[in-house]
Amino acid sequence: MFDQIDPRSPTPLYAQIASRVRVAVAAGALRPGDALPSVRHLASRLRVNPATVVQAYRELETEGFVELRQGAGTFVREVRAERRAGERAHQAATLVRRMIAEAGRLGVSVEELHSAIADEMGAKAS
Amino acid sequence: MFRVVLYGQWKWSRIVVILGSVAGFALPILSVQGATSDPQRAMKAGELLSVIRSWGVLYPVLAAAIGLLIAIATWTPDHRGRHVLALSLPLPRWRYVLLRFTAGLVLLVPTMLGVLAGALLASATATLPPGLETYPVALAIRFALALAVAYAVFFAISAGTTRTAGIILGLIGTVIVVQVVASTAGIELDLTSPVQAVVMNWPGPLAIFTGRWMLIDV
Amino acid sequence: MSNAVEIRELHYRAGKSFAIEDLDLSVPTGSIYGFLGPNGSGKTTTIRLILGLLRPRSGTIRVLGEPMPLRAPAVLGRVGFVPEQPHLDPTLTVCETLRFREAFYPTWDGDWAGRLLQTFDLDPHHPFGKLSKGQKGKVMMLLALAQRPDLLVLDEPTDGLDPVVRRDMLAALIDYVSQHGATVFISSHLVHELERMCDWIGVMDNGRLVSELPMERFKNGIKRLLVSAAPAETESAPFSVLARDRNGAATETWLVRGWEPGMSTWFDARDASLQSVIDLDLEDGFVELLRTFRTPHGKEVR
Repeated sequence: MFDQIDPRSPTPLYAQIASRVRVAVAAGALRPGDALPSVRHLASRLRVNPATVVQAYRELETEGFVELRQGAGTFVREVRAERRAGERAHQAATLVRRMIAEAGRLGVSVEELHSAIADEMGAKAS
Repeated sequence: MFRVVLYGQWKWSRIVVILGSVAGFALPILSVQGATSDPQRAMKAGELLSVIRSWGVLYPVLAAAIGLLIAIATWTPDHRGRHVLALSLPLPRWRYVLLRFTAGLVLLVPTMLGVLAGALLASATATLPPGLETYPVALAIRFALALAVAYAVFFAISAGTTRTAGIILGLIGTVIVVQVVASTAGIELDLTSPVQAVVMNWPGPLAIFTGRWMLIDV
Repeated sequence: MSNAVEIRELHYRAGKSFAIEDLDLSVPTGSIYGFLGPNGSGKTTTIRLILGLLRPRSGTIRVLGEPMPLRAPAVLGRVGFVPEQPHLDPTLTVCETLRFREAFYPTWDGDWAGRLLQTFDLDPHHPFGKLSKGQKGKVMMLLALAQRPDLLVLDEPTDGLDPVVRRDMLAALIDYVSQHGATVFISSHLVHELERMCDWIGVMDNGRLVSELPMERFKNGIKRLLVSAAPAETESAPFSVLARDRNGAATETWLVRGWEPGMSTWFDARDASLQSVIDLDLEDGFVELLRTFRTPHGKEVR
């Protein structure tokens, strides 16, 4: 889940980590009550500053996705379905925004993009 | 701390220590070969003394060689890294140098004991012409001191800083020069009397190597 | 004590050619400070000064609050050092090497050393001299960590090692930092490694500290702009243009410093269009910083 953290991306590392957790919760991969990896374990595995992981977990706690239990660790909270759907919509919008920007860079027009999407979706469906 | 330093140095210089002890033990025994045969073929005093004298040349050579090798072995592990790791240890430099120096001295003891044992054994088994005496203990002590001096000199040189080596060699050199000048000027100057009390008369610590090394003498 | 390492107005000279001039460097306690710079810029010398191996001409060095090199023997007990070259006694086995170092450090944790031996997959009875380069590197890291230091100083610890070994070593380092809250001062050529874990960056060039910033500010300092219908003149821009390159007919890539989000209006006013603002990664930022610092008009970025 955390393996493609990219320090070169414009998104700060803590935001990338937090985003992964949000996506996992939204998709149901992380259920309420599941424990997130400890700060020590995750920082060591990703070879990032422990403060980065702490920052990610704190942000998630502020947003209500997880709760930090003293001495026990960080656990996923119950998140309402609308919330999860909202998160998925947010991720979709980000994806599309990125795609349109990239298309612009490559000189692909919006119409060309539309037809490509339709083709790919059609190919996938059949 | 001393134990681990000693252990490390032992591992490096095991072979030298063993060879030194064997050579030290063998030297006095080989030198009295001529005198241990049966009384009918006993050598004349003059003949025996000249045999002893020629073997005697090897004592300072052995002392210098073992002193050199042990001294080099003391510093070789640190030398490759230009002493960076040793200097990053949490103790004052002088203490570290003292640890290494003392460990090296301890490793000289087997060779010294080898010479003592060999000299005692040689003295016990030799049949002497009349008028000659054996001096095993004096010889062994002289060898021990020579070995220590050689070790100290080479230790300083291989410690890595030319400045320290220069100071030590300078001091030794000064002592020798002063003694020599004093004796030529006829002045009674005795800088080394404790040592002189044990062995025969000669000037300065490095001169321990010169002169005759006689297990058997008048 | 706010800074684990504090260097003020340091001057050092070695022979005629190399000098460190007027160095001011601070490593905040608990931070992971990455020390970058080209070869010969003075990184190793600075590290040796920090450890009290060298004596400066003038200026002060304080490590964990104590002046160096005066208090070196006391302070070094709390400093874990991983040198560039792993030159330990080659005749000692790994186990004997550990026992040698243990004798000098009262805070040594034998249990943890044992566990690290297993994590690093090291054979305790193998002579140090016969280990591979990667294994030697791991032993050096192990020795520094098992001491349980308050400050870790690492001089290119992963240089020339394969990625798997690098990963293991850095994971162990981060693991320790999470537990102990130690400060880390690490110099490296592998900018991408530092990018993941450092929260402070110091850049050295030619004996001077060119820049010392928190990581985010360092990376945000310089940006790439994708511009179409780019205007010809740039003097009136509110940011400084470091370079501009053409990408084909329509667009240009500009390298700028001092960019802020509202500045896109400058482009609108000139009928140009700003396609995107791209952050530079640490390596590009570092390269560009040196380039601008070395030109006649370059200034320090603080």
